[in-house]
Amino acid sequence: MMGLERALIELLLHFITREDLNAFLRSPQHTATLVGCLIAVCGALLGTFLLLRGLSLTSDAISHTVLLGIVLAFMLMTGAGLEGDTASPWLIVGAAAAGVGTVALTEALQRSGLVRQDAALGLAFPLLFAIAVILVSRFVDDVHLDDDAVLVGEIGLAWANTNSHCFARCESLRIRPEDPAAQQTRHCVNCRELNISPRDERAEFIEVCGNCGVYTPAQAWSAGLLDEAPALVFFPKSITVMLALTALTAGFVALFYKELKLTAFDAALAKSLGFRPVALTYALMILVSLVAVGAFDAVGSILVVAFFIIPPATAYLLTDRLSGMLLLGPILGGAGAFFGYDLARGWLFGIFPLAEGIAALNRLFGLQLPEAWDSSISASVVLTMFVIFLLAWILSPRYGLVASGLRRANSRRRFEDQVVLAHIHNHQDTPSQAIELRAATLHQHFRWTPQKMSRVLMRLRALGFVSLEAGSAVLTERGDAHVHAFRNHMLVAHNIPDIDPTQS
Amino acid sequence: MPESGELALVIDDLTVAYDQKPVIWDIDLEVPQGALMAIVGPNGAGKSTLIKAALNLIPRAAGSVLFYGQPYEAARRLVGYVPQRGSVDWDFPTSVLDVVTMGLYGKLGWLRRPGRRERAKALAALEQVGLVEFAGRQISQLSGGQQQRTFLARALVQDAQIYFMDEPFAAVDAITEAAIVNILRELNKRGCTVLVVHHDLQTVPAYFDWLTLLNVEVVAAGRTEQVFTLENLQKAYGGRVTSLHGGQVLAAGG
Repeated sequence: MMGLERALIELLLHFITREDLNAFLRSPQHTATLVGCLIAVCGALLGTFLLLRGLSLTSDAISHTVLLGIVLAFMLMTGAGLEGDTASPWLIVGAAAAGVGTVALTEALQRSGLVRQDAALGLAFPLLFAIAVILVSRFVDDVHLDDDAVLVGEIGLAWANTNSHCFARCESLRIRPEDPAAQQTRHCVNCRELNISPRDERAEFIEVCGNCGVYTPAQAWSAGLLDEAPALVFFPKSITVMLALTALTAGFVALFYKELKLTAFDAALAKSLGFRPVALTYALMILVSLVAVGAFDAVGSILVVAFFIIPPATAYLLTDRLSGMLLLGPILGGAGAFFGYDLARGWLFGIFPLAEGIAALNRLFGLQLPEAWDSSISASVVLTMFVIFLLAWILSPRYGLVASGLRRANSRRRFEDQVVLAHIHNHQDTPSQAIELRAATLHQHFRWTPQKMSRVLMRLRALGFVSLEAGSAVLTERGDAHVHAFRNHMLVAHNIPDIDPTQS
Repeated sequence: MPESGELALVIDDLTVAYDQKPVIWDIDLEVPQGALMAIVGPNGAGKSTLIKAALNLIPRAAGSVLFYGQPYEAARRLVGYVPQRGSVDWDFPTSVLDVVTMGLYGKLGWLRRPGRRERAKALAALEQVGLVEFAGRQISQLSGGQQQRTFLARALVQDAQIYFMDEPFAAVDAITEAAIVNILRELNKRGCTVLVVHHDLQTVPAYFDWLTLLNVEVVAAGRTEQVFTLENLQKAYGGRVTSLHGGQVLAAGG
């Protein structure tokens, strides 16, 4: 991981100076936005397949149960004398195990035939989460695993947890007791044993060096042991982790696109063609677990589910193709992460300052709301994603509320037109013409209100389909042609293949 | 290419059970190469189960199934499957052409992507079922009959030797029914063996030359003219089939 990170930094240093790179990464906004975008990209890619297979809530379950994987990995690491760290490869194992465990437990419960799928999920994941919570409170004492972090994460602090990389003047330093910089202190070796004060004449002393040991260049510089600063880059660990996960996820989806599509659409066909839908499902779930762990520090275990579900659900409203969803989902999710950070700092979509809105409310209604706006970043990102979803839901050109409402109204109007035209067509030039087609009483034959009938007649006259002759509705030549065209369209089924059913 | 006179499918002592309750019970069935066979029986007779168990889609409690003398894993390329239309989500974001191309995924294997050749094959199959101008359509915009024909085209591109179709005639319009019958005959003429789960007794003698009557067990199997008798139908359906008049079944319930 460190090697990859170093290679990446070396690549970046071709385009940007070291000072600028450090300044960029030190900004909480840049790191938080970058990490948020990467989580959104991973989430949208995997979430698309979860959504299409009706497994959206499995991501919620897994994002909770990975806590168990994290805790177990922490306990193992502590047991092995390692420092607990949420970027450790041990966690990958723990998370994958937790994800597989969740799916396997759910399926075992379901296969028993005694609980349904939704209930099985509802039984499995609280159980594993509860075990994890108990383990956290009993055995793990670590800043990464407090209650707040579990709930919403700390994406705003992602910039602060870094690996340091040194590129020049990289002397690692060793301080020995004989060095002038060593800070020697005297330490009484038998004071506690004999229960005496160090001033007692029986006290024996040894020299202890307080700052001896090996210093990395970064540690040496911050301890003031170097005269000249080494060329250091501080790279946030979350960015590396999420970059690796994004590459893994994108690679998986690109490589197995065909298989994932077939399995999502028709698992039975996939199986009968010799693919392994079950193996693919588990691979998908392992990736979901890894992303959930990678995102755990940043957005916690509750809100991460939004990154899996909201962007694909939005993309689903905007495109008819799986490839379109896989392209649009990450873009929409990334936009949510980008504008979400702004929202947390009080700017709606980078345009409208919320503080002014609150100030206006205070002025208007005499309220005393605090005008400063500083809220949870991950919650704001989720809120922004939802606002984008809402916009698509209302405005999507094909499936949106507005479009389908307009379409319905339009087809209702056209249907009314056709009903009236057909009536005129059927009664025109018949003995009942005078009674049936009188404009003033036409509405009675349809049991319509006079207003509705006069609206339809007005429209038909404006279209040039109908004219009024001596108070009766009469089809014009155009109207007559229209009626015939419509009848042909409706009554003759189109697209009949060339078939003779009697042939034998 | 299998020779005629050979057996396309041999099912031996096949039993499938859910919770120790048999859904199909000790099925023995031999289907000769080139047969166009209907599998008919009342609701719950295990018709779909028989197909799914033969194709290893559900576990068998006992028995074996051989395709041209080989087990399913070895004969996979020879077998085409048309599942029930309702078994997939037709709101899935994909096009008609895409769905048909999926029939070729088995030949492509893992990782390889469909290319121009696969596209041409899929278009040819769509042409055959009369849907070629719907190729770019989102599948949710198809009528039920068009969906069924899409599934049929997907099976056609598989270029199989033996086809299993699960209720292809369920709730389709007359045009689609005629189209399916035409394709069944076309496949049959090419020397394919076709097994169709069917629910309309009236059309059995007109459409199929072989018939299996199923009600958990095999009631009768063989050439349609020998099997399609009032006695056999009453055995399969209980007393609900009341008369058989010139090949027409009257008052067949279920």
